[in-house]
Amino acid sequence: MTASVQDAEDILQDTYIKAQAKIDTFRGDSSLKTWIFSIASNLARDLLRSKKRWPETVTDFCREETLRNRQFFQEALQIRETSPQGKFEIKEHIAFCFTCVSKSLPLEQHLALLLKEVYGFKVMEIATILNQTDAMVKYYLHVGRKKMIEIFDRRCSLINKEGICYQCTELNGIFNPKQKAEEELVKIEMARDAENKSKEELFDLRMKILQELDPFESGAAELQLHHLEHNRQVMENYLEEDQ
Amino acid sequence: MKEQTFSKSQEGKASTIRKTFSRETCVQMTIFADPAIVWALLTRASDFPRWNSTVTSVKGAIKAGETIELKSKLDEKRTFKLKIKEFIPEKRLVWGDSQGSRVYTIDKGGGGGIIFTMSEKIGGPLFPLFARYIPPFDDSFQRFAADLKKEAESIQKAKE
Repeated sequence: MTASVQDAEDILQDTYIKAQAKIDTFRGDSSLKTWIFSIASNLARDLLRSKKRWPETVTDFCREETLRNRQFFQEALQIRETSPQGKFEIKEHIAFCFTCVSKSLPLEQHLALLLKEVYGFKVMEIATILNQTDAMVKYYLHVGRKKMIEIFDRRCSLINKEGICYQCTELNGIFNPKQKAEEELVKIEMARDAENKSKEELFDLRMKILQELDPFESGAAELQLHHLEHNRQVMENYLEEDQ
Repeated sequence: MKEQTFSKSQEGKASTIRKTFSRETCVQMTIFADPAIVWALLTRASDFPRWNSTVTSVKGAIKAGETIELKSKLDEKRTFKLKIKEFIPEKRLVWGDSQGSRVYTIDKGGGGGIIFTMSEKIGGPLFPLFARYIPPFDDSFQRFAADLKKEAESIQKAKE
């Protein structure tokens, strides 16, 4: 959501402090999990409301900047060689890619989509978390999903042969030079069954990848978070210059 | 010029009243969706082309007092600069320019539905001179209403 480990950790800590301070006001109208997520979502909204949303071409833009940045590659290769969380895996990059591209959605759509598709909340629970009506949550989810499906269908070469983005296989070639990308892709249902599934089903498979990954604990966490921090800095500089 | 009788009775079917100095087209549709969903669809400018087959683009914010730039499939070369004249959430939206106004209303209907009405009246003293150059709106209105119904009801039916 924030694309920043530091911001995510701050929100986590502030959520804990606020929940602790306000636990007396929890009346049990929702589950404790829903109540805590509403605190966290409000903090995320407060942080992100004043920030510009990213363009949907974020990965193209950041790729160009990455190619110009030798230090980034040196650091990434160092992580790849030395860190227990430095593996490069295509499915981890699919999740990373979603994190970046979903920041092009309006904030409410972004939040609603994550709460539903990644954290598995129901519409009425999301309505409580976001302090919105069920109808508006349905609207945010529907439009957010449609937009993401359309972006990935147009861009992602894993699901559409005419897709213009192939960064996950490109990076796999850099970080895993001896491994064939095709063999890795066969292990990923979304890529393996791309021709036989509808756009909706392919999006659900993409979400399944996100649900099964822990971005902070996986074997690729350090490498992906390093890449994410790079993209965040690139985008913040770009959006600042654009103002 | 022969006058026609204005009728809103036919669900989803546009009708037009032609007068010497004005023309008014209207369509009405029952939509089984929450008014908030219909309102959200009508007021998110950048999202219009995704669900509405009659619109090429809408730039700007659909909010009271704002001006939007709309390109319609009826005349893709032209950009209409339209002022938001009325903005009553989930009830009434009016935009237009000096030649006319488009009015959208959302009213409570029977059986859990809402009644969506869209009308546009164009005219003025010089209307007879340029009337022949303005294409009929009926087909575009019918598609607009049908697209709105389809999109709003599909959102309403989404899994809980």
